[in-house]
Amino acid sequence: MEITIILASFLAAAVLGLLVKHRSILEATSIAATAIAFIGSIIVAVKVAPPGGYETLSFFSIDSFGAIIMLIIGLIGMAVTVYSVFYLRQEVTKEIIGLGRVRQYFIFLNLFLLAMYLAITASSPIFTWIAIEGTTLSTAFLISFYNKHSAMEAAWKYLIISSVGLLLGFFGTLLYFTSIDSSISNSIVSWQTLAANATQMDPMIAKIAFIFVLIGYGTKVGLAPMHTWLPDAHSKAPAPISALLSGVLLNVAIVTIFRFKIITDMVIGETFSQTLLITFGMLSILIAALIILLQKNYKRLLAYSSVENMGIIAIGFGFGTPGIFAATLHMIYHALIKSTLFLSAGTIFLKYSSTKIAKIQGILTTLPVTGIIFFAGFFAITGAPPFGIFITKISILSAGIKMHPVVSIIAMFLMALLFVGFFKHVTEMLFGEKPEGIKTGEISGWLILPPLALILTALFLSFYIPTFLRTLIDNVVSTY
Amino acid sequence: MSTIFLQFLLGVIFLTIVFLHIAKKNFGAAIAYGIQSLAVVLILVNSFLETGTISLLFIILLEFIVKVLLAPIFFIRLIKKNKLKFSVSTYLNTPLTLIVIAVLTAIVHSQKLVPLTGIIMANQELLALALSAIFLSLFLIVNRRGALSQIAGVLSFENSIVAFSVFAGLEQSAALQVGIIFDIIIWLIIAIVFASMLYKHFGSLDVTSMRHLKD
Repeated sequence: MEITIILASFLAAAVLGLLVKHRSILEATSIAATAIAFIGSIIVAVKVAPPGGYETLSFFSIDSFGAIIMLIIGLIGMAVTVYSVFYLRQEVTKEIIGLGRVRQYFIFLNLFLLAMYLAITASSPIFTWIAIEGTTLSTAFLISFYNKHSAMEAAWKYLIISSVGLLLGFFGTLLYFTSIDSSISNSIVSWQTLAANATQMDPMIAKIAFIFVLIGYGTKVGLAPMHTWLPDAHSKAPAPISALLSGVLLNVAIVTIFRFKIITDMVIGETFSQTLLITFGMLSILIAALIILLQKNYKRLLAYSSVENMGIIAIGFGFGTPGIFAATLHMIYHALIKSTLFLSAGTIFLKYSSTKIAKIQGILTTLPVTGIIFFAGFFAITGAPPFGIFITKISILSAGIKMHPVVSIIAMFLMALLFVGFFKHVTEMLFGEKPEGIKTGEISGWLILPPLALILTALFLSFYIPTFLRTLIDNVVSTY
Repeated sequence: MSTIFLQFLLGVIFLTIVFLHIAKKNFGAAIAYGIQSLAVVLILVNSFLETGTISLLFIILLEFIVKVLLAPIFFIRLIKKNKLKFSVSTYLNTPLTLIVIAVLTAIVHSQKLVPLTGIIMANQELLALALSAIFLSLFLIVNRRGALSQIAGVLSFENSIVAFSVFAGLEQSAALQVGIIFDIIIWLIIAIVFASMLYKHFGSLDVTSMRHLKD
């Protein structure tokens, strides 16, 4: 019931966007839809926590991991929607965009959120694929939102690379159906049915299928070397959309990979999938570490940080049970903090009208509160205490140190390199003399509130994990 | 339908992809995609005749409307609207492209990929041809410089997967197939709209003319 209400609220908000021209109605319905979704997600998470799963209608099924991602979509979706309202008002005032664009924005935003909820709650892997493809289609126009040459190029690159990746993922998904009797496969085959029939799968096909799934959905996750679309798309999209792409969408895609991992592990054991996850994860961290040092654009800097963090989550799952708890928690922290950083970056962009690091100085003077939030976000994402990412990074590395000491040590070195690169850029932006012509003072309190709420949530969860959330994470550890 | 006729249909899919690799005119590419899709539809008709699943008829009708009629019409309208008579070239020249095509086809027919081509041993030859089509479509997307060719490559990739899934006995339920086709049509519309927008921005559909992401 809750899922239906959540999906219906986004669909209604998108349809209303087509019918209604008043900006305030568009804004109100979008905020209402995300509020409903967030409350619905909490209810579902509480229901899922004790039994470890929850099914409603034949199309939907939510496990503990799904419930965690629903909470992430709900919370960040709401913060992003509230922020978008005031962010777009500023852009309209500055005549960067017109009211028609605002309308398009909210229609696609609601469709994007709808597609992510569908992807994570779908009972069938094919249905999940359809919904993830839906996220590509709904976000392509949001990435090209500013209609500039570079934005068009980024959107085209995103559309083609993601679509090819997803078709590879689709082919891999179909290969998992070789374990299913054809009389069953004509009905809707669920994740549970695939798992139940896993032992009948040819081990060689299981290996090939997982490779296709990992490369296919890995493209959407932004795992290197399939990450090339990610920095372009995340840097050219409006800041609130970048927050959703980085903080939420990547998690939806990576959870899909982990769901296939369970089935693969049942057929051929854990070693094969774990080795691949560690390999792709390490490559992602390595590429991010090398590129971050040379970055000239702060939104691309944040995007590469997402590549790094997806790599960390992948190696966490690659290290097996000891790393999975920390990797799941890392996913939650990363989602909250990266969204905070992108939303703060949006405010910085509104103030300075540039995404070039060289043109940004003295943020702590011009935007004192946003500057502090951005600085805190930087510390949090690079793994500085007291934020939880410090603990999750240490836990993941210590989980790997026994079985994969070389990998863990190299990863630790690369993370230190990333901190240095990030620190160099962020200090250049925060301190120093503000450029001439830039006024001092925050733009709007409403642009501070959403990122502040997200970073405070991340800080709160660094010290205290509510019982139901801990149960969900424990369930993930025992299942994955 | 006889195995030879099914082999002929798969041969048509395979050859249209080879043609898409070497085509110099966009119009020819649009027609080739239409013919390729017709071959996929006929394969699905064969599947219907074998299984008698009524819901498959609906899928066949949808596939026919979307892929055989609408997609080529969209392509041709875009070509006429923007006077995109000639397609842009490939990264590799034609002889090298043909060599890569031959190598990819040989790899698919090797023992290494028997687990895939032997999912149903009776259909091994057909599955090998369908898998070759998948690989050649991927190569098409990578090798062509034109946005239109890339769209045709993605759609050919999807057609090849459909053909493979039919012969591997991996067809999905009607509800899911409708969902997949719905995705494809939305993707097609968005890709065509984007191609048109790219032309307005860059004055060409050659993707190498896009060089604005170098910061």
